Amino acid sequence: MMNRLDHMPTLKIDGFRKIGFIYKKKKYYGVEGDTVATALYANGIRIFARSLKYHRPRGLYSLDGECSNTCMEVDNIPNVRCENTLLKEGMVIKEQNVKGSAENDMMSFIDKMDWMMPAGFYYNTMHKPASIWPIAMKQIRKAAGLGTLSPDFEMPGIYDEIFPTTDVCIIGGGPSGMMAAVAAAKKGLRVIIMEARPWLGGFFEYRSSQYKPGKDKGSQSLHDRALELDREVNALENIRVFTHTSMVGAYNNNLITGFQIGKESDLFDQRYIEIRAKSVVVATGCIERPLIFDNNERPGVMQIGCALRLANTYGLLPGQKAVFSIGHDLGLEAALELSSLGLNIELIADIREDGQNPELLQKLEDKNITLLKGWVACKANGKKRVKNVELSSIDGLASKTVSCDLIVASAGMTPVTGPVTIAQGKLKYDAHTGFFLADKLPEKIHVTGRLLGLDNPLSIETSGTIAGLQAALDCENCSIKEIGDIKKSLKNLPGPTRGTKLVTAPVKGRKSFICFDEDTTIKNIKQAIEKGFDVPELIKRFTSAGTGPGQGGIPGHNLPLYVAKYQALPDISIKPTTTRPPLVPTLLSTYAGTNHIMLKQTPMDKMQREDGGIFRNIGVWQRARYFSNDLTCKKEIENIRSNVGMLDASTLGKFRIHGPDALKALQRVFVSDMSKVQQGRMKYSAMCNDDGCVIDDGVITKLGENDYYFTTSTGRAGQTVEWIRYHTRYDKWNFHIVNLTDSMGVINLAGPNARKVLAKIVDMDISNEAFGFSEYKEFNIKDCIPVRAMRLGFVGELSYELHVPSSYMLSVWLMLKDAGKEFRIQNFGVEAQNVLRMEKCHIILGQESEQRTNLLDVGLEFLWDRTKADAKTIGAVALSQAEKDKDRFKLVGFKMEENGRAPHDGSLIVDEKVRGYVCTARDSFSLNEAVGMALVDGPLSKIGTRLEIYEDECNGKRIYGKVVEMPFYDPEGSRMKM
Amino acid sequence: MIFKSKPLWGEKTKLKSSYDVVIIGGGLHSLATAYYLAKEHGITDIAIIEKNYIGFGGAGRNTAIVRANQRTQHNVPLYKEALDLWPVLTKELDYNLMFNNCGNLNLMHSEAAMKAARMTIATAQFHGVESHLIDAKEAKELVPALNISENITFPIHGAMFHPPGGIVRHDAVVWGLAKGAAKNGVEIHQHTEALGIETKNNKVCSVTTSEGKINTRQVLISAGGYSAALIHDMLGIKLPISVLTIQAMVTQPLKPLLDHVVSSGAYHCYANQTLKGEVATGAHMDPWPNYTTLNTAHYIKHQAEALSEFLPCLRGVRFMRIWGGLADMTPDMAPIMDGNNQVEGFFMDCGWGYFGFKSCSAVGKYMAQFMATDQCPDIFKPFALKRYEEHRLMGETAALVNYTPDN
Repeated sequence: MMNRLDHMPTLKIDGFRKIGFIYKKKKYYGVEGDTVATALYANGIRIFARSLKYHRPRGLYSLDGECSNTCMEVDNIPNVRCENTLLKEGMVIKEQNVKGSAENDMMSFIDKMDWMMPAGFYYNTMHKPASIWPIAMKQIRKAAGLGTLSPDFEMPGIYDEIFPTTDVCIIGGGPSGMMAAVAAAKKGLRVIIMEARPWLGGFFEYRSSQYKPGKDKGSQSLHDRALELDREVNALENIRVFTHTSMVGAYNNNLITGFQIGKESDLFDQRYIEIRAKSVVVATGCIERPLIFDNNERPGVMQIGCALRLANTYGLLPGQKAVFSIGHDLGLEAALELSSLGLNIELIADIREDGQNPELLQKLEDKNITLLKGWVACKANGKKRVKNVELSSIDGLASKTVSCDLIVASAGMTPVTGPVTIAQGKLKYDAHTGFFLADKLPEKIHVTGRLLGLDNPLSIETSGTIAGLQAALDCENCSIKEIGDIKKSLKNLPGPTRGTKLVTAPVKGRKSFICFDEDTTIKNIKQAIEKGFDVPELIKRFTSAGTGPGQGGIPGHNLPLYVAKYQALPDISIKPTTTRPPLVPTLLSTYAGTNHIMLKQTPMDKMQREDGGIFRNIGVWQRARYFSNDLTCKKEIENIRSNVGMLDASTLGKFRIHGPDALKALQRVFVSDMSKVQQGRMKYSAMCNDDGCVIDDGVITKLGENDYYFTTSTGRAGQTVEWIRYHTRYDKWNFHIVNLTDSMGVINLAGPNARKVLAKIVDMDISNEAFGFSEYKEFNIKDCIPVRAMRLGFVGELSYELHVPSSYMLSVWLMLKDAGKEFRIQNFGVEAQNVLRMEKCHIILGQESEQRTNLLDVGLEFLWDRTKADAKTIGAVALSQAEKDKDRFKLVGFKMEENGRAPHDGSLIVDEKVRGYVCTARDSFSLNEAVGMALVDGPLSKIGTRLEIYEDECNGKRIYGKVVEMPFYDPEGSRMKM
Repeated sequence: MIFKSKPLWGEKTKLKSSYDVVIIGGGLHSLATAYYLAKEHGITDIAIIEKNYIGFGGAGRNTAIVRANQRTQHNVPLYKEALDLWPVLTKELDYNLMFNNCGNLNLMHSEAAMKAARMTIATAQFHGVESHLIDAKEAKELVPALNISENITFPIHGAMFHPPGGIVRHDAVVWGLAKGAAKNGVEIHQHTEALGIETKNNKVCSVTTSEGKINTRQVLISAGGYSAALIHDMLGIKLPISVLTIQAMVTQPLKPLLDHVVSSGAYHCYANQTLKGEVATGAHMDPWPNYTTLNTAHYIKHQAEALSEFLPCLRGVRFMRIWGGLADMTPDMAPIMDGNNQVEGFFMDCGWGYFGFKSCSAVGKYMAQFMATDQCPDIFKPFALKRYEEHRLMGETAALVNYTPDN
């Protein structure tokens, strides 16, 4: 056993199991169960870090991570809160934000410069003359920030995620939380407990005082009672306990998030937990409200729980000679326990004039420990560590100085209200307890235990049972009467205890810190108020109090209380500042969880990759864009123009719409007259939005009466169902839409030899006479594979779009590949298609259209049927109105002057102003010249207009093109009709 | 001592019964307009009416990014002027707005995005705004933490680099403008709620507030996300605005890691490091209209997933705070600035979506000119409400946007 206390039942360490770690390049040892901070403390380390602004020495203050005092770099991860991070073998620990070391920081002189740095000083300095600012800014950036992160840092570890649902979620595994869990579980409900510490027990667990004080006391300690409750919880199979799990977020309808730190036996380092609960019980208890006095964060000053748990949990005596300055019975209890463990208690200053537990007072007297009622610590002295403390009476009239190496200080308790406020509960200041108590709670959320101001163990437990039953009532598993009965029994137990109101000792506050992380002093708060920042929320912003790594952990409730006191506001107007999630800082890797890449693959994905496809992620899909490293796709293009190729077009949206009103729905969304489509025929058409902008285009095939198959562009596939539903929502029409996008694949077989290839695998006449351009056929390949074939001409050549069930895609593809062998059939990708269709001036939405263009502007006027007014076609009104507007953008085709090269896509068309831009332009291999399409102001759209083209990085040098007729390639369209 | 203890935006005064100008909303656009009205046009009898405290809304909830690389010629000059005004205002207001012109790096993840970026860059260059297309390697040199490998959801093809952009301390702008306005005689009434606007013969005559009625000839509503509802409730003018919650968050502070603002449309994510060292990140909006500023569980997770991919070192840092604000979105991502059109003496400045911060200085300047002269400045003309009646959207995004609850 190392230098540890070893006889208390409360200990959580195994003193015989050493754990080695590296601190500042030297090897140290802790023991199993240690946190990094307790291991360092055991090795005599007292200064863990330096503060952000003033580089003041900082030590162990609490053990629950409310501030950044023990933030260090652990295994290259910055800002790790060492006080509640379990020590692991081989950890490498470094200090942060110091020049030199935390012990001897060369920047510590800044602490004396505070007079230069009043609240918000940076707004009033460093900008005159303006040339200073960039230099000052560099220094500010260097000085700010705590930890260092390398840009090539790779986070080790496994991060998991789970999304359980439950009946009751209980936040906090202390006595009231456990009682609530047991009560709800006994009603047959599924219960989850989230407990931030690695073990259950909360406020009872580390205390060896009697569970039932007073006359009929038994021998059971609070610690024993915690174990008893733990056993009871674990015996119930419908309670799922997540220990070492911090609750971080609460959202609508009781969605609770948190994260768990894995044990060595777990398969994860951390896991994100998102719980949907029917009812939630908040049982987070209290933390200590920091006592504010001069140098109240000097190493050697710590809170009661910290001192007590150092001893009882980790077997470490927190100091040699201690002075207590407290405002709660826990302070007296801790003094007694620590005294019996060997700590010399010089003196206890209690903020309270009266109201102490007489039993504790008697014991103090028995032990000869001096208690000064109505006294408080005013100043801790000692440059790096506490050497003595100046105390005074609350009124400031009497004072004394006592030498010590430990000041156990806290102003009292304050409830952990974060979970309540982020769940949208409202708080109200309560003068009796001095607490912010839950006032208005959302439905199916309950608070219990010390959050209600209760302090007595039995009261805490009984309130837990009530909360558990209330949660059961939410789940309709409990009667109101049952709850009423227990509520009566709570009435007979001690109610909320009177709390202390004192925030600061009688000091001026130049070195009295209300927020440790941001080095905000009481003086800073006063300065802000004088500047007109009169509400806590503004003061927080102006002084940064509560915006550091620990957020509101330290200043949380003290800030509004102090502001109210300073402004002499009535209690009613005391409102805490907003608490925001995550309540505990959470690693991005934890939130990211397993972080799957979830792009969709077509049935041809593997084969196309094997064929040398270069893939791109487009929307939700992965698609082959190129089939060689020649990104101009010369070979792919020439092959289609002269031979035959295959494109995987499976990403197209594919839908069936059927039912008595299917045609009406199509008439509503498509601009063409769909009633004119004959059975077994198809039509290309477009959909517009209310402004007449084209949102989608595709081919509609009539399969039967009120039964259609239609395609959409790849990008719109996801929204189409919603679009049609939304725009028919008042009509009560009867139709169904089936999304076939993933169940059907599409092969585009294109090129002059396409027919010869297809003919080899089908048993029917597919001559131009039998299956002509823009016709639709259904047939089976090998008598079993059903194919829907369309003769379309997107790329401007003879082509067949074959729609095949996904499961048959590979077979059909291989058959075509085999059949095409004699022609040397090739793959072609999305970019080749892009160029091929551009030469034909077939537009791609989003490429040749945008927010400012409607159906008419992009030359699709011919699709619009004006006669079907009854259909209330979306966009028709806007199109009629915009028809007369001649200044709108128009899509034009252009060629370059003097056989010049194609401009970059996205180049501007300009004169003195911007008049349009180039959508797609290429040096065409088919045409041997540069061609492209552009959107230009209406007046520039006349054939023959000279276009002045402004490219990025052109340094003022323009190139010129000329508006020409579209399309560029095969204007008669004979090639796609052959 | 450098520090002088005087209320920054004047002693509290009682609301008068009449003002020359009443401005509803105590955010940046209101404060800037008031400041310029008082300073440039000598109109100092102004009351700013703010329901909460100044900077409560979008002014204090944005991530403070400024830039002038917008898409169209109507927008770029306005934002350019706004960008140029930060150092000027710092000097004029004698308040350090902490303009960090670190430059913005907008990542492109596809050939199509590179093309779109070229158009935006050409537009910027045509208007004398510095902006360049760079490849992935060059982007990595600027931001060494970038992951330019192929094995992420959206591999980085390149970026639009816009050196004159950056970050400004948003709170400083609020307080600085308030200070400047108050110094010139403007009254700022916090915790005062505007309840209605009365008109007579289609002219503004008074504003009712929780602290009493104010007679006035001119009213400006520039109340950020709340504008559309106020304008509708008070004057019955329907605006094509959908109000959505937008969220942002910060990590714990780090020593300098990101020297530029990094953003990605494909990942719906931007990240920049504040002077305090926090990595501030956001961008996504939940696509259902609402007036709450509540956070959603999936969003902080999404953000972590996105950053884990393109800035993977950030996996080792912690988010410590997330918040929400309102974005008043128009169908074309461009604001509505209008005046004397629907009601004489009524001006509106709204629909900024998430561009309200970066535009505030220039808009304040021209809105003041508009109100002082009753003549719409040329730079504002394309932003009038009637463009929606004419189906002439402004094209600030290429994509068609739709903010119905059903999308």
